[in-house]
This record gives sequence, C-alpha cells and structure tokens, in this order.
Amino acid sequence: MKDIFLQVAQVLTVLLLSPLLHGFIVKMEEKVQRGQGPSIFQPYWDLWKLFHKTQLVPETATWVFFWAPVVAFVAMMIVPMLIPVLTNFPLPLSDMGDILGGGLILTLGSFFILLAGLDTGQPFGGLGSSRAVMLGILAEPTLILVFVGITFLDHSMLPFVANHLLAQSPVAYWSPAHIFLVLAFIILLTVETDRLPIHSTIPYEIYMIDEARILEYSGPLLALLKWASWMKQFILYTIFLNVFLFPWGLSVSGDFGSVLLALLVILAKYGAVGLFMVMVDTVQSRLRFYRYQEPLALSFLFAVLAIVADQL
Amino acid sequence: MLIFHLGPLATSLFSLLAILALVLSFVMLGSHWLKNHVYAFAAESWVIAAISASIGYYGHYPELYIIAALSALFRGSLLPYLVLRLVKRLHINREFTPLLKPSSSMLLGAALVIFSYEVARQLGVSLHLTDNIAVLALTCMFSLKLIGFLMMILRSEAISHILGLLVIENGIFLGSQIIVPGMPALLELVIIFDLVTIVMAFGMLVRFLQSHAGTTSSRGLQKLVG
Amino acid sequence: MVDFNALIAALWIVPSLAIIAMLAIRRPSWGEFLNLASALVVFGLTLTILVAAPNNAVVSADQYILITPLGAWVLFCVGVVYLLASIYAIGYMRLLPEERPRLHKFYALQAGFALTMLIAPLMNNPGIFWIAIDFTTIVSAFLVGFEREAECIEAAWKYLIVVSAGLALALLGIILFYWGGTFTLGPTYALTWENLRLTAPKVPEALLFFSFLLTLVGFGTKVGLAPMHTWLPDAHSEGPAPASAMLSGALLNIALLGIYRFLSIVDAGGYSLMSHTALLVLGVISLAVAGLFIVRQDGAKRMLAYSSLEHMGVLAMGFGFGGPIAFAGAMYHMINHSLTKSLMFFGAGNMMRAYESKSMSQMRRILRYYPFSGGVWLLGAVAITGAPPFGLFLSEITILRGGILSANPWAVWVMAVLLILIFTAFLNHFRRMIWGPEPEPGKEPTLKLSLWNILPMLLAFVPILVLGLWWPNGLWTFFQHAFAVAP
Repeated sequence: MKDIFLQVAQVLTVLLLSPLLHGFIVKMEEKVQRGQGPSIFQPYWDLWKLFHKTQLVPETATWVFFWAPVVAFVAMMIVPMLIPVLTNFPLPLSDMGDILGGGLILTLGSFFILLAGLDTGQPFGGLGSSRAVMLGILAEPTLILVFVGITFLDHSMLPFVANHLLAQSPVAYWSPAHIFLVLAFIILLTVETDRLPIHSTIPYEIYMIDEARILEYSGPLLALLKWASWMKQFILYTIFLNVFLFPWGLSVSGDFGSVLLALLVILAKYGAVGLFMVMVDTVQSRLRFYRYQEPLALSFLFAVLAIVADQL
Repeated sequence: MLIFHLGPLATSLFSLLAILALVLSFVMLGSHWLKNHVYAFAAESWVIAAISASIGYYGHYPELYIIAALSALFRGSLLPYLVLRLVKRLHINREFTPLLKPSSSMLLGAALVIFSYEVARQLGVSLHLTDNIAVLALTCMFSLKLIGFLMMILRSEAISHILGLLVIENGIFLGSQIIVPGMPALLELVIIFDLVTIVMAFGMLVRFLQSHAGTTSSRGLQKLVG
Repeated sequence: MVDFNALIAALWIVPSLAIIAMLAIRRPSWGEFLNLASALVVFGLTLTILVAAPNNAVVSADQYILITPLGAWVLFCVGVVYLLASIYAIGYMRLLPEERPRLHKFYALQAGFALTMLIAPLMNNPGIFWIAIDFTTIVSAFLVGFEREAECIEAAWKYLIVVSAGLALALLGIILFYWGGTFTLGPTYALTWENLRLTAPKVPEALLFFSFLLTLVGFGTKVGLAPMHTWLPDAHSEGPAPASAMLSGALLNIALLGIYRFLSIVDAGGYSLMSHTALLVLGVISLAVAGLFIVRQDGAKRMLAYSSLEHMGVLAMGFGFGGPIAFAGAMYHMINHSLTKSLMFFGAGNMMRAYESKSMSQMRRILRYYPFSGGVWLLGAVAITGAPPFGLFLSEITILRGGILSANPWAVWVMAVLLILIFTAFLNHFRRMIWGPEPEPGKEPTLKLSLWNILPMLLAFVPILVLGLWWPNGLWTFFQHAFAVAP
C-alpha cells in the first residue's frame, strides 16, 4: 500500500515540480544577464492561462494533431514509474521497463510531436521536424550507447542496480568507464533539454528547431505540449542525477520523513544542475549547422571509450 | 608480464592515466586549431611521464624517476615549444584542407580504438595474461599508434605530420613503460634524445619547405610523380 | 689476434675527425681531399675487418659491439661505396659551381652519412641498431635536400616522414620482441640479438609473428620494399648522384641486415615458414612494382631508383627462400649490386650534367658524344639487369637455384618472368638513348668529363666483370660460414 502511494507520489513529483524547474532556470538565466526575470512560478500561471484559452485547430489537421500532445504527455507520466525519483528501491510496476525501455518511451513521445509538426502541412512545422529528426539521428545512438555502457558497468538493465552500485562502491564511481559515461551524458543532456550550443531560445522561426514543431498549437493542447517538454527535462535530470552522477539523497526506507527529505534534496540537486545549464547557456554561442555533429561525435566517442574501458 | 603485484588503487591509477592519454589524443583529432593539438600533445607527454613515475614507485625501479623527469622535460616541454615556434613562424593556424572533418575523424578514431582493443585482447588470450593492465596498455599503445597514423594520413599540413609521428612515439613510450618497465634505461634515454634530434631536423626542413617550395601543405608538394 | 676494438674505434674516429676538420676549415678543396682520405682509410679498415672476420660472432666492448660474418660483409659494402662515391663526388660537385661556397658542408654530410652507416651493422643491441638507422635517415635526408630546389626539398621531406613513420612501427616491433622475452628471462635483461634468439622458442607464436611483421614492415620501409617504397624514387633521384649511390648501394643493405636478424630470431622460435613467406611475398611485390614502373619511365635516376627497388626485392627473395644456396646468392648479390648501382648512378650523373636534363628523352646519341663513359654506362645497364657475364647474373641464378629447393618454388617462376620484363624495359630505354632521335640543334652536349668522373666508373666496372666470370672459392666458404653462424 505504501509502495503504491510512493509510486503515485513519484509521478506527481515529476508532474508538479517540472514547471518549477523550468521557471527556476529561466529566472536564473535572466539574473545572470543582469535582468530581473519572471517569477519562478510563472510556468504554473502560463499553464493555467493556456488551459482557459480557446482551442484553435488548423483546417488541415487530422487526428494526429489532437492525439500527439496526449501521447507525449502520457509517455512522460509513465517514465517516472520506471526510474528512481524518490526512492532507491524498486516500486511495484517499476519492472514494467528497464532503462532502455524508459529511453524508448521518451523517444516515443518525441516521435509523436514530430508527426504533429508534419501533420498540418505548414512549412515551419516541417522545418522543425526535419531538424529535430537530424539531431535525433545524431543523438539517439549515443543515448543508447550510454545506456548500454551503464548496463555493462553494473551488469543489469535496471536503473536501481546502477544506483546502488555507484552509491556504495567508490571504485566503480571513479572508474574511467563511469566518468566517460557522465561526460557523454552531460553533452546529451544539453542537446536533449534544448540548451546551447545547438538549441537556443531565439524567437525567429527560421532558427528554431524544437519550437517550430509546435507553432500551430494553442490552448490546452499547447499546455500539454509545454508541460510534456518540461517533464522530459525533469526526467532526464532525474536519470542523470540518480543513476549517473549523484545517486545519494534518495529515500531508503520509504516512510514519510525520508520522502520529504528526498524532495528537499531533489530541489537542491536539480537546482545545482540547473545552474550548470544556465552557465552552459551563457558562456557559449550557437554552433553553425554543419558543426552540430561535433559535440555529438564527442559524446559518442566518450560512450565508446566507456564501453571499451569497462572491459578492461 | 608484470612481475610486481598491483593493488587495486595502483591499477585504477594506471588505467586512469592511460585512458587520459588516449582522450588527449582524441582532442588532437577533434580540434580545429593546430595550437590546441600541440597543447594536447604536451599534456599527453606529461601524463605519460606521470605513468613512468608511478610505475617506478610501485615497481621499485628508481631509474624510471629519471626517465619520467627527462621525458616531462624534453617530450613535455621542449618538443611542444619547438613545434609551437614552428607554427608561429609559419603563420599556420589551422588545417585548411583535411580529408575528413574533425568529428568524422573522431568517429574513425573510436573505431580504431575498438579494433586495437580486439587485437590486444586476442594477444592477451594467446599469452594467458591474468591481469588486465597489460591488455589496457596494449590497447592504448596500438590505439595511439593508429590515431597517429590517422593524423598523418588525413591531414596535409607538415606540422600535422610531425605531430602524428610524435603521437606514434608517445604511444610506443606509453606501452613500453607499462609492459616492459625493466627495459634498459639507456635505450629509453637515447630514444628521448633521438626524438629531439628528429624534431630539430624537421624544423629545419620545414623552414626550407616554406622558403624554397613555397608551401608546407602536401597538397602543394606534388611535383614528383611516377 | 686482431684487436677488433681498436679497428672499430679507428673506423669511427677517422670520419669523425674528418667531419670536424671539414667544418672547421671551410675551404672546398680541403673538404674534397679530407673526405677522400677518410674514405680510403675507412675502405682499408672495413677490408681488414672482413678479412679478419672470425668464423663465429664476436661480441666485444662490454656487450655493445657485435661482429658477425654477415655484418662484416655489409660493412665492407659500405666501405666500397663510400670510397667510390667520394672519388666521384669530387668530379661531380666541381660541375656545380654555384654550390661551391657550401661544398664543405656537403662533404661533411657525406662523411657523416658514412659514419652513421658504419655504426649500425656493428650494434649488438637491436634498440641501438634502430637508433643508428634513425640517424642515418636524418643525415641522408639533409644530403638528399642539399641542392635546395623545390623538388629536392620535397623529396627529402617525403623521405623523412615516410621512413620515420615506418621506423616507429619497427620500434614497436622491437618492444614487443623484448616483451616476449620477459616471459622467460624476467623483467630486466640485456636487449641483444642473442638473448632474443634464446628466448624465442618459449614465446607464443602469435606474439612472435606479430612482432616480426611489425619489424618487417618497419625496416622494410627503410629498405624500400613495396608497398612501402613510395619515398624511394623521389629520394634517390633528387639527391646529388654520389649521395644516391651511397643511399642505394650501402644504406638499403643495412636495413635488410636488420630484417634478416629479426628473421633469424623467428627461425629460432621455430616458425620459419610463415616469416620467410612474408618476406618472400614482399620481395615479389617489389619486383612487380619495379617492373611496371620501369617500363614507362622518363627520368634517368628515377629509373635507377626503381632498379634499386627491383634488386632489393631480389635480395628479400634471396633471404626469404632460406637455405644456404639462396643465402650465398643474396650475399654475393649485395656486393655486386653495390658496385653496379654505383656505376649506374655515376653514369647517370655524368649524363645529366652533360645534357642538362634529368629526363632520358633529352639524352640522345650518348655513344657519339661520350663513347667511353657512355659505353661503360651501357655495359653497366646490361650488368644491372642481370645479364651474363657480369656478377649480378651469377648471384641471381644462385638465388633462383636456392628458390627451387625451398618451400616456395612458385616464387621462382614469378621472379624469372619479372626479371625478363625488367631486362627488356631497361634496355629499351638505353636503346632509345643510343640509337634514338638526334639531339636538337643547339642542345648538343659540350661538357668534358674529367678523370674524377670516369675513374670511379671504371673502378666499379672491373670488379663486376671479374666477379661475374669467377666466383672465388674463398668467398663461397665465407658465405657458408656466414649462414651457419647467427647473423
């Protein structure tokens, strides 16, 4: 009973805390650039506003237009059941999918949004979708290799086992394989969560990659899409922190006090990574199109080196 | 075969240093600027000197300390300084016409690392090696060699050719420190000085290339054919 | 009892003194004669070492120096070519008046090159052998690029890069050989040829063969075996003619000595078939490449460089066939090739200076303008393609005989066909030079060749004729001893 409650609590954590993370990052970026920035709760007000707006649908839309945001949103809600968010022991239904399955469900959500971008037949949607697919071609193999690497390291496909291993054994934590996996994942994280040097928050459509896919959306569907992308960011941070970089701070016993403590630790950990992302955004400029492969080739290289180093 | 027994701390130290050297060679493959290549080479030489020193410490080979110091001095400081001087004098900042982009050459380098690992593993199996550090040393040695050759093949600048050669020698030095630490020190000393002589000879020749042939890129040095 | 230490010390000190003197006294004429004097002394010393060479290997000077019959033979070839090239260099460099201020540097480089070549065959330690060969590369690269033209510098650059890359591979092979030995002799032992041979039977086959392949390819780059021969035509054709003669006639032998020494280590390990076949295959490929490139060749010295490639292929096949007969043929081939190649390069240098062009299509009616030296050159061409009654014919026939008895008789047929091809192609070029079109008006050669240019050609020609008609019995027994003893 307690476990089921914990599992629901994990999903709710992701659902409710992801806009906060996004708001925090936006505000910190503005602060670093000497501005004031919106309140960190602004994303909540944005969601509220969007849910109360009229839904406008283009004439050329089909059922994909309606179902894509729903599929993305639901996929993002399934993944927190599989990964360690609050507790470091597996909860019921955690073995629905292992770490590779989690990654694939994330990709499913993105895939449907891609289809939605193409669905209306407008040029900017297709532009965004094709660019996002190109990035996916470069980034997805590396993501799979990273997961394969962590599987080799802990000899199991469940993220919980990796968490235990890295938390308890400093030899495994500081081994070259693990360090390379962390480095590879950092680069992937910047790509998947829309940071420079590849994505940027330019409002000009011709430079957009991911935002161009959702240009046609408005109202509640747009709210679902935005929420889904914030949840994806939160989930990727979760995987990064709880499986790779900082496996401590999770609740071991599962009772209320330790879960609250885990929540506070979440705020601290994710805030730290968020600040790092702000720094990444501030010190870099955007790469030209033909150079997108460079950071991704670097992360691919790190993943390969991690797998090789692990055999030795 | 490593006769002395390595504790787990020593093993991880060696593997960390060896892989760091390998990663630095990838910096050389992936960077656009020649100066970064030279700095990466210098860092790599220092890392290999650190490996020498730690092998001397753990294996009780006191002469390896001297070799470590000398190789840090010559390979890690003097050679990069000479090459940097060449780069400044020739006003060449980057490789203008490489055959493969840096990112693709990094991927090719990753493939070569996998190939070297496979070769090293087969050698290890046929030799019935019990410790993995020798296989790691062989992997890094072969990979550095292959990456050095890759640099020489894919690039047309004279400086890149010199750097490729130096990376190959670095790889050999790295491997020899780990698998044959007892090799007579005289040999290693002479190899270090030999390298310095080679680089000086290269420096002179490159200056002649610049002044008489007008170019240091092999794209322009194609008068002798047949 | 001959004191080898004193002989070898003298062998090294004399050229060193000559170099220092030449660099101190910057007069060209002093340079010429100092070089010639040191060449004469070196020749005498190498002849003494050869004559006094014991029937077994001698190790002296605290285990650093090794004198074996094969090593003494290679050293003697170096001495011969050095002497001939020094005599010729006087005549040749006098034809280049624009280089006169720098002439002392040229002679210093030539003496330095000879010095480095005299060190390498005597080294007991494979690592120091490697370093000596590396030094020969560096010094000869500057010799090749001496004339500071664009093509010369390009050739020198290519030579240095390709050979250094190859030698790096060879170094890896040496380290792996040493590692193989540590399994039986412990982590520290003296790196000598004998020690490696002792431990070879215990080393696993994969490691032994792998290391041998690395050293084969590495030193094969230095020898110029195809497909690592890409530097050879450029370096040998762009250097001044005396330097090309020394490169072709002396240096390639030393690198081949290195390959043979590593081959004997693998033989001691008991895996001789694979290693000999590998060497044989490289020899066959070299012959094939040389043949194909000689057919369509325009540069005189470039063609001779490909002929060097051919003869190195023949030598590799001689060593690769294995067995005493092929080995004796290969050793005889070494001295004959050194003499004949020097003769050819000297002739080519003369003709190039006379017709002021490097290409053979510009050298027309050579017998009319230079009957004597052109005639000797023509006879040398007949010699170098392996026709009787010259020495190379005898050595090649012996190698073929040894090949039929070996484990790879198929290579004999390939070798015979390719030699015939090269003979035909080579002499075709000469036919064009002698009976081809007339020289263009105004471009007839007017150069008078001095005695310094012609004398070395004669000095090289007479022994080839003698050795082709008469294989001395003493040499035959010497070769048998050399085969029985470790190289």
